[in-house]
Amino acid sequence: MAALSPRAALAHPHVFAEATLEVEVGPDHTVHSLGHVWRFDDLFSATVLMEFDKNKDRKLDDAELAEVGRTVHDSLADFGYFQMVTANGKDVAMKAPAELIATYDKQQLIIMFESAPEKPLKLAGKIDFGIYDPTFYTAIDFTSDDMMKVNGMPADCRRKVIRPDPDEAIAQNQKTLTDAFFNDPTGTDYTKLFATRLELDCGGGK
Amino acid sequence: MRVREAAAAVALAALAMAGLVAAAHAQSSLGIGTNEATLPSTGLFAHVLNWVNVEQQRFYRALAGALKSMRDGGGGLWLLIGLSFAYGVFHAAGPGHGKAVISSYMIANEVALRRGIVLSFVSALLQGVSAIVLMGLVYVVLAGTSLTMTDASRFLEIGSYALVTGFGAWLLWRKAGRRLVALMRPAPMLAPAGMPGVTAALFEAHGGDARTDAGDAKASAPRRVLNVQCTHPDIGPGEICAECGHSHAPDPSMLSGRDFDWRTAWTAIVAVGIRPCTGALIVLSFALLNGLIFGGVVSVLAMSIGTAITVSVLATLAVTAKNWALALTGSGSGGALHAAIEIAGAALVFLLGALMLAASLSA
Repeated sequence: MAALSPRAALAHPHVFAEATLEVEVGPDHTVHSLGHVWRFDDLFSATVLMEFDKNKDRKLDDAELAEVGRTVHDSLADFGYFQMVTANGKDVAMKAPAELIATYDKQQLIIMFESAPEKPLKLAGKIDFGIYDPTFYTAIDFTSDDMMKVNGMPADCRRKVIRPDPDEAIAQNQKTLTDAFFNDPTGTDYTKLFATRLELDCGGGK
Repeated sequence: MRVREAAAAVALAALAMAGLVAAAHAQSSLGIGTNEATLPSTGLFAHVLNWVNVEQQRFYRALAGALKSMRDGGGGLWLLIGLSFAYGVFHAAGPGHGKAVISSYMIANEVALRRGIVLSFVSALLQGVSAIVLMGLVYVVLAGTSLTMTDASRFLEIGSYALVTGFGAWLLWRKAGRRLVALMRPAPMLAPAGMPGVTAALFEAHGGDARTDAGDAKASAPRRVLNVQCTHPDIGPGEICAECGHSHAPDPSMLSGRDFDWRTAWTAIVAVGIRPCTGALIVLSFALLNGLIFGGVVSVLAMSIGTAITVSVLATLAVTAKNWALALTGSGSGGALHAAIEIAGAALVFLLGALMLAASLSA
């Protein structure tokens, strides 16, 4: 079965966003929140302005920005707000953020939001925070490893930013991918293999 | 069907499917703009497509850079034109429905290559013009109304897919209907049992409809009198087969008048062309907001020309592959393989249209 070709190879991003992620850890070593800021590219930002500028004054006022936030919020609900959090390989459910805040700065759209795990997430073992668009419409780009921060990181944790090489990721996971493909050819689960992710390796894990 | 013909048909079908991966539009993950969600495809060609995607991204970014430089007074109109052209070339090489429809149409009809290229150019330019007109209408003429760009482009998109579907259905009816009449008389060379893979499925799926139309088609198909089976493998491309009275790799000028009429061609052009090119809309938005209207329009036209070149090349490849298959197997333009290819081409147009229409309506 050499002809394995995930959809990833075909889809290509239309939208680029420079992102930062801030993981807030409380004194009890649980994850309080994930703070996201996405700054979108000029071209996409221009199309958003054209789309949401209802009064056609060629800028986005507060009401129009609120509408942008609502639209993206509603749509991202189907994609886990581009978050894929796992604790020792198991998916961690995240609460939907209350709202997305949209602003427009230097001709660029900025989206900010905060989310939290549904159940308390203790930092033990390997915790991964992958931020990506499973449909590959948006390229969420962390330009440097510093763009993925941890505030209040416990002393027994090590922080690492992993940027998988797509070819390697496919090679390493050939069997799983092949199985996944045959079980659910339309599934996009395997897309997480390509995502940039922050990995915390902490003591006390299995 | 003989083994060689069968093998050629399979190879051609594979080529067609690989080259003409359809792009179904769906609502994007961000809820803004449309995502060209591609159908899953297996992949000998995955690496090529991957490479195309990487190049596309690079151009997209360079294009944004050139526009920004122009905005900031750095000049660079020619750079913008060059990049837009290159973007058009590469964007058309990726998955998309325009070239698929044009190529399939050319496979289904014996269109002279020169005319096929004109077809590609006009439809690509129309896509660019459609984007410019849409932007002008929504943002200049209809300013103050609540009509949004997305609504308007979605409307045109669905219109385009509906037209493609209808056009494909009509082509299919014409091709399959005519052939069926011809097949009723001599020994049925195209028995579904002998048809491999994709082609067989097409026949099973559409044979029923076509058969009911056979009565009508009989009256309007006097050309079929010329349908002589002719198999002379020793006759090379371009040489005339004396017994059947036509050349094996037909000269484009001989074909040009046969199955081609401009009304049909315009249907194909409009079906493909009214859907505005997404990349063009993005560039135009940015250009309009930054007072670079001239730059935006020039960029879109350069993109269209780039797209047209790629579509022409791909359509030419498709038709050349068809002619080679016919020449290699020694079947003439009345042969079973020829019929199968034409019907498959028509069916492809129909399937592509129906698929994209369904995808965009369910989005």
